[in-house]
Amino acid sequence: MNVSAADIRSVFNVPDAAVAGPSQIKKPTTTVRKPEGMPRELYALIGPSTPALSAQLAKPRLKQKPNFGGIAPRTKWHVSILLSQYFVISYSSDRELRTFKNPARKGDLELRHWEKAGTDSAADYPFAKYDVQPNSYQYSLDEYTRLLEDRDWTKEETDYLLSVVKEYDSRWYIVHDRYNFPGGPERTLEDLKDRYCSVCRKLIRNRPWAGDDASKTLLISSYQFDKEREVTRKKYLKSLEDRTPDQIAEEEALYVEVKRLEQNERRFKRDRENLLRTLAGIDSGLPDIVEDDPLPLAILEGSKTKTKKTKGVAEAESPATPAATPAPTVKKPIKSAAYDAQHCIIRTETPSAAIATKAAHQPAYLRSFKLPAPKAAIAPKVTQALAELGISHTRLVMPTRENALLLDSLIEATTTLVETKRAYDKAEYEIQVLKNRLGVREKSQPAEGTEGKVEGSAGMGVDDVQVGKEAEETEGEDGRAQSILSARSGGRSRKHARRSMSISSVDTVSTRANNKRQKRN
Amino acid sequence: MSNDRVRVRGLSIFRPIIYGNTAVVLTQKERDASPTPDHTHRWTVAVRSAASPPDGDQVGGADDLSYFIKRVSFKLHDTYPNPSRNVDKSPFELTETGWGEFEIQIRITFVTESGEKAATLYHHLKLHPWTASGEPEIPPLDVAMKLGPVHSWQYDEVVFNDPYQNFLNVLTSHPPTPLPKSKRKPVPFHLAHPASLEASKGGTPEFTMQMAKEEEERLKEARARVVEEQEKWRAMLIEKENELVDLQKRVNGIEAA
Repeated sequence: MNVSAADIRSVFNVPDAAVAGPSQIKKPTTTVRKPEGMPRELYALIGPSTPALSAQLAKPRLKQKPNFGGIAPRTKWHVSILLSQYFVISYSSDRELRTFKNPARKGDLELRHWEKAGTDSAADYPFAKYDVQPNSYQYSLDEYTRLLEDRDWTKEETDYLLSVVKEYDSRWYIVHDRYNFPGGPERTLEDLKDRYCSVCRKLIRNRPWAGDDASKTLLISSYQFDKEREVTRKKYLKSLEDRTPDQIAEEEALYVEVKRLEQNERRFKRDRENLLRTLAGIDSGLPDIVEDDPLPLAILEGSKTKTKKTKGVAEAESPATPAATPAPTVKKPIKSAAYDAQHCIIRTETPSAAIATKAAHQPAYLRSFKLPAPKAAIAPKVTQALAELGISHTRLVMPTRENALLLDSLIEATTTLVETKRAYDKAEYEIQVLKNRLGVREKSQPAEGTEGKVEGSAGMGVDDVQVGKEAEETEGEDGRAQSILSARSGGRSRKHARRSMSISSVDTVSTRANNKRQKRN
Repeated sequence: MSNDRVRVRGLSIFRPIIYGNTAVVLTQKERDASPTPDHTHRWTVAVRSAASPPDGDQVGGADDLSYFIKRVSFKLHDTYPNPSRNVDKSPFELTETGWGEFEIQIRITFVTESGEKAATLYHHLKLHPWTASGEPEIPPLDVAMKLGPVHSWQYDEVVFNDPYQNFLNVLTSHPPTPLPKSKRKPVPFHLAHPASLEASKGGTPEFTMQMAKEEEERLKEARARVVEEQEKWRAMLIEKENELVDLQKRVNGIEAA
């Protein structure tokens, strides 16, 4: 791969020479100093040409070594624990050997360890809290077909991917190493990670969320993955690694040349400005002199306009990280927010395409008239579920904007719940049907298949079939009974709802209001 | 000014109001003195601003709403003489006597500057005390009299979208009195929150920000429970689906064999 260092710099959009270039070349007069924290031998090996690494080579700050009360050095401690399995060692008097259970561990394994005598013996094992289980996501068939369909991935492979990721605790290099889906195409690490992250993102985004929006966005952004960028990054890292010594030398030389030109340019400009000042007075001069031009490459090109252009292009081309480009928000001063709150003003983004016609105007309304309503098909079930929670979706005590929005998300969540339950019932029913079919077949096959059987066994086979059929029938009856029950309960609840409506003032109000609204619409 | 009749786009402005009624039982003396001795209650139906005045024994009505409301029409039961009553100035309320509960149609006409059509809402006139069960119960008059006035009020917000500039000026020159942050008086009872019955007893109720906060909490809690439940069911569903796939394979295997 023939990529010159200059290409690499421009692709990485290195903004400052100080980061990318050798800092000591910038000031050639200063003596070259070894960065702090870098071993002398290493510095002698790599020389001054890798200053980008120097920041990372600074001496790492380590945690302070634990102080064991000044009595036992670590090694002795360790040995004594080992020994304590065979001998009862009387340790120094302020320690005692206790049994403990690790709640992060499955099973009832009891281990013993030394603890300070004064501490609470009933306290939980303090290291159990480090056993953090990562979120693992699963999806139902419906969710998969709705959200996660992908041309390159089958559901089976996605299932497999999620199971592998879970098994290896999202340690991607291991996941990639062990990943072996029979019959599937070759996947790179980025493929896997991309698929996994997109699945998680989609699931989080589309599932009802119990917390506030900020935490949801935060969680989603933790699954952000830009495959293209990652691939490019690795590619360029690799090419950076693969440079030949000649190329490195050439790059160095070019860099020195650039710096020299830059310096000349600057000196020339300064001279010219000084000259102008002395000739035409203090106010004149070249106001648009940029003292520290950040793009040395542009100076190679020579012209100022070019500089600007390159800068613009570079910015546009730089891959946008989600964190780096926040949604353009109209920042309002706090004073104005307080003003809005005082006057009950809510500002929304005006779509510029909106045409100011009278027909497009939304007339004045009462907030409670626009309360969200569940889908008509499952409305009774949603109402019932919410009633169990003590919430009535047709009326609110305080129909403020926030509460109306909350109610909306509540109804959405409940709708999903009802639909999930329905899907569950369906799956259960299908399982029953299949089981019965399976039962019938498994029982009847040996009876029919083997001829040399005695009549009795054949008879038993028939009996079995009958039993199976009976089971199916009772199952069917059960199902019917259930449906009757549910219908009855549904009816009851509906009746109840009607009754409560008739007694409640507000309910009738809202139903009327809804009628009215429908009429108006 | 020429730009007065321009709509301010991307802005909606609301005014918190309450509507409802207060009812008291008439004493025997008052009933004897009235031309309609069969009427047992005196009630007042009203549309008011949501905040209550600092002094006084009234639910809401701290602000005069006539800066954006031109007229409120109350349509009473047909048995009342000229059942459509218009109130053209503040306070927008109507006091009558009667013996039964019925639905009152309330029509709010906004001032001309708003350029808005009238809004219609309904209120069920409440004469008899609230009960915990929600079942209607008509206690004997002397019992009801001891229980004190009955309050039935609904908070709501009138929302104006893209108001005309001059109407917006009118509105912003009358900022509504904010609701008190915490509870000072009893809570107005509401059927959507039956648990508030106890807190609603003992005097004239008042709407507060706390009520909105508490309802927000209730909704959030309910949502958290629903989500939790849904997650449980989803896990079960996924299990069933996997079982189904296995079964399907077995059935197919047998049928193929």
